[in-house]
Amino acid sequence: MIEVEGLRKTYGDFAAVVDSTFSVAEGEVFGVVGPNGAGKTTTLKVLAGLVDPTDGEVEVAGFASDDPEMRRQLGFLPEESPLYEEMTPLSYLRFFADLYDVPRETANERIEAALDRLELDHRERRLGDMSKGMKRKVAIARSLVNDPDVLVYDEPASGLDPVTTNSVLEFTRELRETGKTVVFSAHNLYHVESVCDRVAVMNEGRIVARGSVDGIRERHGETTYRVFTDVAPARTDALVEMFGDSGDHAALDAATEEVGDRFRTTVPTMDAVEAVREAAAAAGGEVVDIRTREPSLEDVFLDIVGRPMPGRYTGGGAAGEGSDDEDAEQAGDAEPSNDESRAAEPPEGTE
Amino acid sequence: MIDRLRRILRVARWETVRAGGGVDRRTLLAALALLLVAGGVLGGGLAAGVVGLDVDRDVYRVAVNDDSPYADAVEEAPALTRAPVDGAVLGDTADLVVVDGSRSGTVETVAVRASDTRKGEAAAAEFREAVEAHNERLMAAEENRTAAFPVTVALQYVGRTSGLDEGSTLGGDDDGDGGGESGDGSGDGGDGSDGGGGGSGGSGGTGGDTASDDGANEDGGLAVPSVDGAAFGADTVGSPGSISPPFPFVSLLLAFVFLVPMNFLIQAYGSSVLDERTNRRGEPLLVTPLSPVDIVAGKTLPYVAVAALVTTCIALGVGGGALSVIAVLPVALAFLGATFVGAMFARSFKELTFVTVGVSVLLTTYAFVPAIFTNVTPVALVSPLTLVVFDLQGEAVGLGEALFSTVPMATGAALLFGLGLGVYREEDMFTQKPVGRKFLDALAVRLRSVGKAGAGTLRSRSGLRALVPIAVLTACTIPFVFVAELLAVALLFALPVTVSIPVLLVTIAFIEEVAKSVHLYAGFERGAFARTDRVAVAVGCASAVGFFLAEKVTAVVQAVGLTELFVGRAAFGSVAGMEGLPPIAVAGLFFAPLLLHGFSTTVAAVGASRGRTYYVLTLALATLIHAAYNFGVVRVYA
Repeated sequence: MIEVEGLRKTYGDFAAVVDSTFSVAEGEVFGVVGPNGAGKTTTLKVLAGLVDPTDGEVEVAGFASDDPEMRRQLGFLPEESPLYEEMTPLSYLRFFADLYDVPRETANERIEAALDRLELDHRERRLGDMSKGMKRKVAIARSLVNDPDVLVYDEPASGLDPVTTNSVLEFTRELRETGKTVVFSAHNLYHVESVCDRVAVMNEGRIVARGSVDGIRERHGETTYRVFTDVAPARTDALVEMFGDSGDHAALDAATEEVGDRFRTTVPTMDAVEAVREAAAAAGGEVVDIRTREPSLEDVFLDIVGRPMPGRYTGGGAAGEGSDDEDAEQAGDAEPSNDESRAAEPPEGTE
Repeated sequence: MIDRLRRILRVARWETVRAGGGVDRRTLLAALALLLVAGGVLGGGLAAGVVGLDVDRDVYRVAVNDDSPYADAVEEAPALTRAPVDGAVLGDTADLVVVDGSRSGTVETVAVRASDTRKGEAAAAEFREAVEAHNERLMAAEENRTAAFPVTVALQYVGRTSGLDEGSTLGGDDDGDGGGESGDGSGDGGDGSDGGGGGSGGSGGTGGDTASDDGANEDGGLAVPSVDGAAFGADTVGSPGSISPPFPFVSLLLAFVFLVPMNFLIQAYGSSVLDERTNRRGEPLLVTPLSPVDIVAGKTLPYVAVAALVTTCIALGVGGGALSVIAVLPVALAFLGATFVGAMFARSFKELTFVTVGVSVLLTTYAFVPAIFTNVTPVALVSPLTLVVFDLQGEAVGLGEALFSTVPMATGAALLFGLGLGVYREEDMFTQKPVGRKFLDALAVRLRSVGKAGAGTLRSRSGLRALVPIAVLTACTIPFVFVAELLAVALLFALPVTVSIPVLLVTIAFIEEVAKSVHLYAGFERGAFARTDRVAVAVGCASAVGFFLAEKVTAVVQAVGLTELFVGRAAFGSVAGMEGLPPIAVAGLFFAPLLLHGFSTTVAAVGASRGRTYYVLTLALATLIHAAYNFGVVRVYA
């Protein structure tokens, strides 16, 4: 459905996107992730025909990106969604339906359906009097008035409250079920992981990793195990050898944290888990819990570019999940993986 | 095409809804009330001017008997009101008392007593003037004109020119001058037309009305305004003190009324365009199948419609016709076009305010100042408002004159829209750059194809073809050059020749050098051209050729006789006045500007390729070269 080959976009001497190549299959949700300035938005704007590529080939739904016909097959949601504040949602959406030559009756049906699904009431209220979340929903509905095959969403949940974020992400998942092809950018990696089939990780204008989330995770991250014990594991020979400590036991100490009344030791293999169990027994205790932790995209990103995602903060939970690791664990969250990767609701105004 | 029109109309409809939605009822009512008050004041003022209302009407009470010979004089004077003599008390019921005295032979004595106050003195002065005016009217109505006016002077109004030529006046035929000059005022009791047409149609006769408007108009000579000619027009009969030159004050005032709504319109339009740019509100529009041209056309259409509607209403209200509407529409388009560019370049509503005020002042100056000289000089035709004045005066206007007045402005408006459309795209629309840089961006956008094709490869045909957009873009500046030069002529023509000509020649040189090179500078700055001397020479020559060819369009100025003025010849000399020269000289003079443009533009282009400072310096040098050439040409003509 989307083919991008050798895309390059420069602004003067600054290269926003460099030799970007990827494809998106029909009905797929494709995520573009990366920090601020990575080239995500520029890539999406090229796909939407808003920005002319400096070089490379871009084809969307069988049309070149600068072909006006392509725009009939495309719904675009920019990162920000300022609307015509003096209009109402209904009049605003009808206006855009008009521009796409959608018959009035069909347009009304689509608009009602989209607004129903997005649970947007107050359809005759001025847009200027609406909350940011409501406006975002109107903007999403706008992207659907022409019933496009391809949807390009730039940070669709950016700056929204957790409830609205959940609603938007759920809506995006539903789009996949209706056969829409969605390209979705975010620097909140949880959003991407929860919605996308495949992702492209961008950094400084280049795609540095591409593929399914699991595939990328396999290539660029590793599974770890968290062993919870009721005593601090003894420094047994097996454990010391496992961590390769020479004598100061620094690595072992770093791997073990006290969490409430328990001790958590993070190890990379099942053999190490067994070594921890023996060490706990040697100390007169026992293993009370073992959890598997898959690498998050955050970890993958760290692995690929050698630095954490800028703009990330860990103080608030996204999508109504636990606010941080410790809380989740204290609450006895039994989900086996990924609980640490949920924390990335970005602060408003980033990127 | 029909689909496209339909889409444009859709945008127009929604723009109307949107614009309407942005104004609540209270604001709308307040605006309407304000408009009514303004209209009332203006209408009242006009009515006062037209029907002769005076602000000092009936200020002074004059006690005078009904059978007094002064009764009529008091009655006719607006500032005086009659009061009964019986029981009149000075300073109380009357400011002035006229007491008829005894008659001794042909001498009649009269006593006039005024109250011993400043008002009494003023009343006495007013009474004196009223009596003199009354006597003038009596003499003008006298059948024996020789008795009434023993001395007759033929009065001829001529166009104010440098004095080096006779000038030309509008609205009359050339014969009029001669007729006027030959009018001997023999007092044949004819009408105003006997004295000849032209500039002195009514002056030769002695038998016309007080102000012989009709006679003048019939001859097509200097016309007294059809609206309130008595108040503001040229009186041709009377004592020297009562004669004033023709000045179409009311027609001008009415013509100005056409401009007033434009100022409101551009505020709304500019805000709407800028509103699309702030916070990227218009970004979703760019993703629709509509082209930028469709969007802008749709957004602009309601404002053009409003302008046309308001103009038509005003025309109907003030007695204008289709000519007034046709003349004002290009002005409206220029207002909108300049505002569109301004709104596309401005970074904030604050900047937009400056832009719209600037647009308003500049265009009002361009439209209004030349129109002041309607009936006096061809310079007036620079402004479309002059056509409105003619229309209100009931004078016929030739097609050439109409085109001369309206086409530059209409073309300029179209090009302004084209300039703004260059940056009506995501990459430029939402960036916050200073106006100057945006302007360069807008120019450079039009030269992208040159860069892709590799300008400067003059050896190949494709290389030459790649230079065509440069020549075209330069040619597109001609309407602005034309308008700027006409404005310079209009502003400078009244100055002494020793001042106006040098200033004008340098100004014109500067205008033309900027027009030829500013987009070349933009091309170098924005990377459309390689920064080499070879490319600079190539693009400079291309620009010069484009300018030279388009410049010939200015030959139209001859159609209205502007080159009969000395300053007109100075400004447009290269295309006028070649009659009678040998063919080689004609060819030399014809192609000399091409050499000039080629050289001066190349100089500026080489500077532009090296950066801003060099461009400024070489632009100054090119201007001096061009000005020197202009001086040479003027000397040849002189």
